[in-house]
Amino acid sequence: MWATNAKIVGIVLGTLALYTLIANKIPQVQSEVPQALTLGANVTPEQLVAAGEKVYTGIGGCTTCHGLGERAPNLLTDEKGQGTIGARCGKREPGKTCKQYLYESLDNPTAYVVSGYQPIMPVMTKQLSPAQVWSVIAFLESQGGTVDVTASDIPTTSPASPTSPTSPGGGGGAGGAAFAGGSTDPKAIIQAAGCLACHKLDGQGQVIAPDLTHVGSRRDAESIRRKILDPASSVTKGYEKLAGIMPKSFGTMMSAAQLEALVQYLAAHK
Amino acid sequence: MTDPLLLLQAAADTSRAYGEFPVIGARAFVWITAEVHLMFAAFVLGVPMFAVVTEAIGIFGGDERYDRLSKEFTRLLLVAYSATAIWGAMLVFGLSTLYPRFWAYLTTIFAPSMWLYAALFFVESFTLYLYYYGWDRWKKGRAKLGHWTLGILLNVWGTIVMFIANAWLTYMMSPPRDITPTTDPTTIKLWHAIANATWMPINVHRVIANVVFGGAIVGAYASYRFLAARTEEERAHYDWMGYVGNFIAMSALIVLPFAGYWLGREIYQYDQSMGITMMGGFMSWLWVIQAFLIAVLFLTGNYYLWIGMGRIPGAERFRPYTKYLLIVLVLGAIVWGTPHTMIADSKELAAMGGSHHPFLGALGVMSAKNTAVNLMILTTFLSFLLYRRANTRPVVPWARAGTIIQGAMFAVAAGVVLFYGIRGYFVEAIVRIGFSVYQVLAVLSCIVFVTVIDILMARGAQSLGAIRWGRMPPRSQYALFILAVTFTWLMGLMGFARSGIRQYWHVWQVMQDTSKYAATPALGYASKMISLCVLIFLSLVAFVFWLGGLAEKSTFVATAEGEKGARHVGH
Repeated sequence: MWATNAKIVGIVLGTLALYTLIANKIPQVQSEVPQALTLGANVTPEQLVAAGEKVYTGIGGCTTCHGLGERAPNLLTDEKGQGTIGARCGKREPGKTCKQYLYESLDNPTAYVVSGYQPIMPVMTKQLSPAQVWSVIAFLESQGGTVDVTASDIPTTSPASPTSPTSPGGGGGAGGAAFAGGSTDPKAIIQAAGCLACHKLDGQGQVIAPDLTHVGSRRDAESIRRKILDPASSVTKGYEKLAGIMPKSFGTMMSAAQLEALVQYLAAHK
Repeated sequence: MTDPLLLLQAAADTSRAYGEFPVIGARAFVWITAEVHLMFAAFVLGVPMFAVVTEAIGIFGGDERYDRLSKEFTRLLLVAYSATAIWGAMLVFGLSTLYPRFWAYLTTIFAPSMWLYAALFFVESFTLYLYYYGWDRWKKGRAKLGHWTLGILLNVWGTIVMFIANAWLTYMMSPPRDITPTTDPTTIKLWHAIANATWMPINVHRVIANVVFGGAIVGAYASYRFLAARTEEERAHYDWMGYVGNFIAMSALIVLPFAGYWLGREIYQYDQSMGITMMGGFMSWLWVIQAFLIAVLFLTGNYYLWIGMGRIPGAERFRPYTKYLLIVLVLGAIVWGTPHTMIADSKELAAMGGSHHPFLGALGVMSAKNTAVNLMILTTFLSFLLYRRANTRPVVPWARAGTIIQGAMFAVAAGVVLFYGIRGYFVEAIVRIGFSVYQVLAVLSCIVFVTVIDILMARGAQSLGAIRWGRMPPRSQYALFILAVTFTWLMGLMGFARSGIRQYWHVWQVMQDTSKYAATPALGYASKMISLCVLIFLSLVAFVFWLGGLAEKSTFVATAEGEKGARHVGH
């Protein structure tokens, strides 16, 4: 019986070893967590293209469909005699530059569905950071075209369309004015600042930090302003152990007009 | 109960959002405990299904062998239940200590269902004890029917328990679209979270998969007992038991891909990008491995049947055909395993002119793959049919016409599969996807109608001799082991696929995994984890079976009946 047992163990281990071996012999692809792509103010087109290629073939998952010629148009190879994407992107939509066309295709993929294909592409600006999106655009432009993406196209905190009125000339520039697209709408500021990731306001958001729905009844405008600029200045009772979690950077991110708009909006929440 | 608010406040302390487990790390610990728990759970849910079916065959068919077989199945469950609970407890402790923020979120939404889960597990356990220990006490008449009802209840409780747990994991995959990262979990309605997009497809898929899995493990158990048997009678009994286990596993396996299609479709409908990640993104190669494993299952399952024909008088008539069946299976496996959408760098893409090789791409598309797998299913069904008819000669007057009709049905089904497979190359993707439905319907219709004709044709059939149970070479039993290992490994692989498509999200696009293990590992690492889990599970199952043997002798009763054994499942 020992011989039989040994054979059974051998078969089990041999089968497991075979499957493991095969799975280790094929190309190994790990799904990485999208990382913030840091591109300096003096980033070169070559650096943008190199970064964009990594996103395109990696976490962007673009090659899943583009290149097959059946799920989505070929981008890196010729598509129906029109050349590669860099060569044809500027001719796709009248009045739109290659950069504008590519950005809108990533931001609103259903806007320009190429004839013969299904509208299956996800909104990439929701999946990638602005720096990643713009580097992909640079990479696609480099495929037969001219790269005209620059650092000024890449907003520091939130995406902005190259056609956005707040970002003339092709994109939101760096700096505080770009926060929430420069908007003084308190809801846009709250959205851009990510306040609701911890605070609850009008039924939305998390309840990790104090509920802001009636914040105006317990803090005046001055107190709210001070709290935003220096979160450690006062701590709401019951939340002592969360002290220090709220970022101290909001004062430097917002313009004075944005800060005031937000303060007055919250103070009105009695 | 802890106030959910306090749990969330505690969760905000990022230093305690994640714990760490020594040596292997938090993710590996949760991976192992979840997978091994799931394997035991599948076993204890799958085995009662056919335990109750075989008991019914014993009651209503008057064949006591099935009753004894059913009891032997159930005996395997007793210790397996404890193992399931132990690994489940380890998983809960792992989640609550290593992923406290995520666990707090999940319990905030699902707490009431978790209490119900625990209560039902309790009820299920006691139903099992009553079912097993009452076997000999409630053996006759109405009492026996009452006993059988206990078996049905056992399945009902088990299925509800599984459905509840499935709600938690499917919520992680496909939370309702109105739930966002800023949604307060205390405001999410329980049923809204439970009835998410992938809940019911997973439920159905798992019910079928559990039957497959249970059958395979029972088959392996029987094969071990066969190899260890000291008498011809004992060998005959375990040969028969192994056959039944394999029959059930392979029969359910044939249906499983259809449930898989449904699940895949729901995933695509829920979120295109998730579906694309699953089928064409970084998981592309996973499906090539899956195709290889399923090819192993089909080939080994058929191989076992073909060897089994050696113990059936009259089967020699059909043996020449097996080589053609083998050719179809091998060709099907090759097509199914052809890579298609692979992640490649831009140089590789440019060199190939697309993301796949021009020649292999033609075989790697779904038109070819669907055609291949449907033909493999038809071929396997034909193997079963030949096996069924091996020792009989139909005597009904329309026997010849019936056989011709059966042959025509096979030809039509294969023709439909081939037609839509080829046509799929000339239509748009959205149209092509619909073709798989016609292919599946053709195959299922063929299976159903051919079986009905075969049953009618077998009435009063002339026997060419009893099946010589036990007259099987040892290699047939080793094939059953390969089936069990492959089924188990496949289960681990598909678990990785289902869970891995969430990528760096605990809850898809609602709660992000910010731990150091957030990246989803490549298949190489995953395969090592799967093999480790399978090894742990099979070692424990071997221990469980050994314990079962210590506690009580086999329900096998050595009688001349075992030798006679002319009847078996399928006749």
